This record gives sequence, C-alpha cells and structure tokens, in this order.
Amino acid sequence: MITIKNRSYVAALGLLFVSTTWNLFGDPKADGKAVTNSGSTGSSDSYMGLTGEQLWSNNCSRCHNIQPPARYSEAQWDVIVHHMRLRANITGQEQRAIVEFLKSAR
Amino acid sequence: MKIYRCYPAAIIQAALLTLSAHGQDTTTDGYVTRKEYDELKAELLAMKKELDALKKEGAGAPKRENSESHAVVSTSPKQEVPETQVVGDSGKAVAPALGRTVSDSLGSLLGTTKFLLAGWAEGMFEARNGQVSTFSASFNPIFLWELTPKLLFDSRLEIEPSGGGTNVNLVNAQLSYLLNDYMALGVGEFFSPSNVFVERFEPQWINKLPDRPIGVYHGILPNISVGAQVRGGFPIGPTRANYAFYVSNGPVLNTFDARSAGTLDFNSYTDNNDNKAVGGRVGFLPIPGVEVGYGFETSKPGFQGTTFSDLQALVQSVDLQITRDSDLLRGRINLFAQYAWSHVDHAVYDPDGSLGFGPLAFTSKQDGGYAELAYRPTKVDIDFIRNLELIFRWDHLSRDPSGLGDPWETRWTLGLNYWLSPSTVVKAAYEWDKPNGEPNRNALFIQTAMGF
Repeated sequence: MITIKNRSYVAALGLLFVSTTWNLFGDPKADGKAVTNSGSTGSSDSYMGLTGEQLWSNNCSRCHNIQPPARYSEAQWDVIVHHMRLRANITGQEQRAIVEFLKSAR
Repeated sequence: MKIYRCYPAAIIQAALLTLSAHGQDTTTDGYVTRKEYDELKAELLAMKKELDALKKEGAGAPKRENSESHAVVSTSPKQEVPETQVVGDSGKAVAPALGRTVSDSLGSLLGTTKFLLAGWAEGMFEARNGQVSTFSASFNPIFLWELTPKLLFDSRLEIEPSGGGTNVNLVNAQLSYLLNDYMALGVGEFFSPSNVFVERFEPQWINKLPDRPIGVYHGILPNISVGAQVRGGFPIGPTRANYAFYVSNGPVLNTFDARSAGTLDFNSYTDNNDNKAVGGRVGFLPIPGVEVGYGFETSKPGFQGTTFSDLQALVQSVDLQITRDSDLLRGRINLFAQYAWSHVDHAVYDPDGSLGFGPLAFTSKQDGGYAELAYRPTKVDIDFIRNLELIFRWDHLSRDPSGLGDPWETRWTLGLNYWLSPSTVVKAAYEWDKPNGEPNRNALFIQTAMGF
C-alpha cells in the first residue's frame, strides 16, 4: 500500500518529469499557435488567443479522436458541443468558438 | 409565420435532393463532367436567386432568438453549394458538397435539430485463465436533448444480452441548466465528477483498452451519483481551471461479511440515511493538453439508527491527463493516470459475533488507481501504420480494510488497436493479472467498438 507521503513524492516527480520533457517531445505547432492540418481557415472568433479550430483540437483530443466537421450537420454540432461543454468543463465562449469553427469548416 | 418561413427551405431541400439524385445517376466514376457541372451550377444559381427573392418576401417576419428556429431556418442558406467549392476548376467538389447538402436536408427533416441519438456499440471476446472464454456485446445509446439554449438533458442506457434475456440499465439521466458562461447546474443521475475515467473515458470507442481499470472503475471511487451538481470552467490568465461540486445520496457501508466489511458500496443509488455525501473535483490546465486534478467525496455511509451511523468516510483522488502531438516521435502521446484512496473511521464490525467473523475492530483504508500510456504514429505517411495505436496500462486495487487477508490485485496490460475510422476501433490486448494469493487470471481480449 502506498503511503500518502510516497504519493506526494510520486505526484511531484511526475509533474517534474512532464514539465522538463514537455518541449523535448512537444510539437511547437500543436499548442494552439498554428493551423492544424484540416486545411480550413478556421473561425474568426477567438478565446484566450486561441481560434475555434485550436480550441476544438485542444479540448476534444484530450479525451478522444476528433471527429471531422463534415460528420455532423450544423444542428447536430450545436447539440453535441452544447452537451460536451458540460462534460469537458469548457466555458460558454469556448463552446461558441468551437461551434462556429465546426460550422465554417463543414 | 413559422410555416410560411419553412416553405423556402422545403422547396430548396426537395430541389437539391432531386439534383443530388440526378448527379449520381449521370456520373460514372464518382465525378461529374464539365457539362454536367456547368448545368448544376446554373441551376443552383437560379435557385439561389429564387431563394433570395423568397427571403425578401419573408423579411418582415420577426427574427426568432431561440435555437429551434435558428437550427431549422439557418440550414436553408446552407443548402446552397458554397461558392468556394463551386468556383474550383474541377467538378470534383460538387459531389461531396451535394452529399453534405443531402445530409443537412435529412437532418432537418428527421428533426435532429434539437435531439440527437449518439452512443456506441461493442462486441468482445475474452479468454481469461480459470474462467470459461466468452463473447459479449452491448449497445449503449446516448440521448442528447437541447430543450432550450440553456436547458439540456442527457441520458445513457446500457443494453446487453445476459443469460436468457437482455439487461437494460439506466446509466445516467441528468437535466442541466446553464447559468452563465462559467457555471451550470445539474440534477439527476450523473457521472461522479471525481471519477475522471468514468466521466471521460468509459465509452468503449474512447477507452483505449477492452476492459476498464480496477481501482477507479467500480473500485475506490464512485461511478455514478444521484443528486445535484454545479460545474464549469474559467480562465486564470493564460491558464484554465475547472470545477465540479455535488451533493448526492452517497455510498453504503458494507458491514455484513468479513471480506467486504468496511468497504464502501457505491452501487446503491438509494440513500440509507439523512446525511448526504458532498464531493467534487477541481482541475487545472497550466498549458493546453495537460490537466491535473484533485477529487474528493465525504459522507456518512452507515445505516441510520445503527452503531455505524456516525462513521465518517472520505475518498480522495489525484489525476493527471496529458495529450501531446510530437514531431520527434512522429505521433500522438496520451498519458492518463488517477490514484484514489479512502478512509472510514474506526469501527467494530460484527460486535457480538452473530455474523461469524467478529468482533472485528479496524480503521478501513483502501487505495487503487491506474496509469495508461498510449502512442499513435499520427504523423507517419503510411495509412496502415498511422491507424495503429500501442497502449500500456498498469492498474492496481488494494482492498484489505479488515486485515484478514491481503487481497490486493495488480495488473499489467498491453494492447494494440487499429482505427478503422475516428470512432471505430478494433482492439487486441493481453493482461497479466495475478491477485495476491490466487492463481493468475491472465486474459486475452479482442474487441471492436464503434461510436456514433
């Protein structure tokens, strides 16, 4: 059984590992500062400096493969992203920016 | 006025469906000829003019703000093929554009503007040492309903064959109200926010391995809670944070047999006392793709009117979630981890020995969790390689609250997935499972899952 003290060490070491290796493994274009490979110009809306496309990529891919914008109709995207806002704890502004991007990229 | 405004949409939809059918009939290899393309373009432009004229006629109608009218009416302009696609030098763009148009038309006609049926289906073969190998299957529809732009309902069913019949299980049913951009209220049966795996990764087209990690799935943490919650997210400078706090019926303390005495039963959704469990989770995203979180649930799980009624239980957890695209590794890395531990106040179980294992006095402690690392070479040029994903998971559960034995269990699982589409996967995995003091329970899994 792992003690609370050991758990703290493991958590601290994990965070240290992540922070030190982040740039080594990371793609500088993937943090939301560049266009993804969908070929779309994306939404003109932005939130915290991120476009709807970047918010879509960052938030959705944290848990699952991102779905192509053409997979669902505009109305379906409205319903899906509305519900995913609750699940992913994103803000209303992020939700609207993502929906606008998905509609523009269809 | 609503009916009047629907006429243009209906006319355009019908016309485009006809056009689409015409286009499919006259193509031989999936593309249209230049002549056919010019004809289609001319017809579309004519219809656009007609639509503009109809729009002008209906301009006197007041604009409706609610999502219902927006969703239905706003699809009308989209029936036009976008100019950017029409003006291209090839007719190739017409076919997919018309395909999307048909999809939009059917979506509107079927009334999917407010209600959506999502979910997943799975089939699995499992051969586990010491058990009979078996096939299993399940269908898990998710009902998403947007009643108004602020009022949402979602529910999931689990339908699976069992014995001579079919089991139908209500997994969750929650009504949510969006208070503002940063806060929502939810009431009903919901996924416990402190259990990140259940809330985010449980669907089998998302879960990267065929089975779920012990420790957090029906282990130390609650899967489902019945009660009310408040949740949301907000920015903190360049970073983000999120939260979810809830009040629920809470767990039930097991007291009737030696093996489970002192453990918490989270599968009893009706309450056993007037005390309510309080729990939640806070998450922090220092940079995109990285989230750390802390969750907790405190409760009084003992039956009302018994000697256990004042016992306090506390469950805590920490979690880490990393998703990273890497040029160096030419692919995507996912790291998911959560560790939980619980504590129930000191108590004497079976104090008079009537249950055959007491008196047994102890403070109940349990812990468990998992760490999962996945790699998919998404930046490799070869399709077959790009669709593969390699997964490794360690999971652990130590539930020995009474000290009568040492029933911890640690598993190591290696999996290989092949993605047929972004939401359809075929998984193969082998699990090394050696519960302490028992024969090994190593298992082979083959599973396919499809999200829709």
